[in-house]
Amino acid sequence: MRQNMGQIRIIEAFLAVFIIFSSFAVSANLTITQNKTKPNDLASVGLQALMKLDSDGSLGMCVDDGNWSALRDALNLALPAGVSFNLTVYSAQMQQINTAVISNGAFSSQDVAFVEYICTSRSSMFRCYIIHLYLTVAA
Amino acid sequence: MPAISIDTFFACSLMVILVLSAMAGTSKLLSPYINNAIDQDSAERYKEVSKYLLLNSGNPPNWGQNPAAMPETFGLAKTSADSPYELDVDKISRLNSENLYTLNYAQIFTALKMPDVSFRIEIKPIFEVSISPTATFNGTTETTYEFEILTEKHGMLVQADVKGYVIAESYLEATFVHASNGRISLNITLPNDVNGPALFAVLAKASCDSKVVSFGVCAFTHNSVEPEPKGTFLRLSPLNYVLNASFIYSEIALSSAYALTYGYNSTLTQTASNNQSATYDIPRFLDSSPQILVVAGRNSTAFFTEWTTYPQVPLQMGANFATSATLSNIFAYTYIITIDSALYECTFWFGGPED
Repeated sequence: MRQNMGQIRIIEAFLAVFIIFSSFAVSANLTITQNKTKPNDLASVGLQALMKLDSDGSLGMCVDDGNWSALRDALNLALPAGVSFNLTVYSAQMQQINTAVISNGAFSSQDVAFVEYICTSRSSMFRCYIIHLYLTVAA
Repeated sequence: MPAISIDTFFACSLMVILVLSAMAGTSKLLSPYINNAIDQDSAERYKEVSKYLLLNSGNPPNWGQNPAAMPETFGLAKTSADSPYELDVDKISRLNSENLYTLNYAQIFTALKMPDVSFRIEIKPIFEVSISPTATFNGTTETTYEFEILTEKHGMLVQADVKGYVIAESYLEATFVHASNGRISLNITLPNDVNGPALFAVLAKASCDSKVVSFGVCAFTHNSVEPEPKGTFLRLSPLNYVLNASFIYSEIALSSAYALTYGYNSTLTQTASNNQSATYDIPRFLDSSPQILVVAGRNSTAFFTEWTTYPQVPLQMGANFATSATLSNIFAYTYIITIDSALYECTFWFGGPED
């Protein structure tokens, strides 16, 4: 009787060891996903996007034409998914030029990155624009 | 030995194993949170590495153009680039495994000269073009095919101007440019005396920026059997504005080759051929657009078309972090890059041994 009980406990112990180790084997394969984006990284992404859009002068052309929807769509394409932005265009005298909101949604985070970019118009009349871009990661 | 002693021995062993495993597991799970300062250093380092790869042309600077050249130091930038983050069309094409002159990860890893850094790179158009056949209308002399074309980025529709090309045996036709709000239906009419399988290639230019161009290709049946998957008959390798078409089967005879961009198209001139391969010159179009290169021919009696793009994107190469069983941190950096004046999205993933 006592011998039988000992055998059952050994089997129990083996089962327990098997269950515990299998749980560890499974949990070891679960990767921790921490999606951290720092404001500095976002600012760098935003500046690079503005630079690329402006590489052939199309940014200045959009401002010249007052084509705010094209500016919003271009930024939507150039910025990674899940990034919210708000862009304001100022003249050299710091007067707001854009007559419509250039944004893809409300900001839901306190960590806001800021980019200031200066672009020029390539039309016959020289104009200088100051662009303020605010970025945050959408919730 | 009495059973109770064996019981006690196993119980104690189990407890010890359990405690040790719990400690090891907990420290492993918490290490990314505890080592936050170390992570910040790693993040900064990997960011600089990704910038270095995109802003430096490597050594020799023209390693992309020369099929025999192996980079001593790795860098993807175009030599004497006009703007930062402008990459070399050939260096990018040599990262694609479809290319005959592709570099494998071990060669790149050696050229990177950073033994503790593993990485993955993905380059793709900024938005996607998907083509799906929706209807067929059979006529006595011609057949009309209806396709639905979607231009989208992460499920969000992208307004674009869409241009299509239809290629079949001794047949090339370009469609008009159609403005699309992200979803459009296009009809294509093919004469019934033309042999297929046919290829429908679509180039889409974003309405908001003419530098943002994407493409999609769909092979479909027309007076033929089902089209074979890409790469069944030829291995197409564009490099240094020369297209190399390597034959998979010996009975292959090539008939024509085309280069298609959003604004232009051209028939390619064959410069050399033997029983294993043929080469064509690729024109240098002044167009912010990837080139779709199509080669048509016959394998014994069956007509076929094969295609690739120049630069050869989309591509993904490097270490595979998705199947990683370790709990090491992975850092991702996304850039907008220029290749031949068109914009693409480039993402790096970096990882290394745990500190």
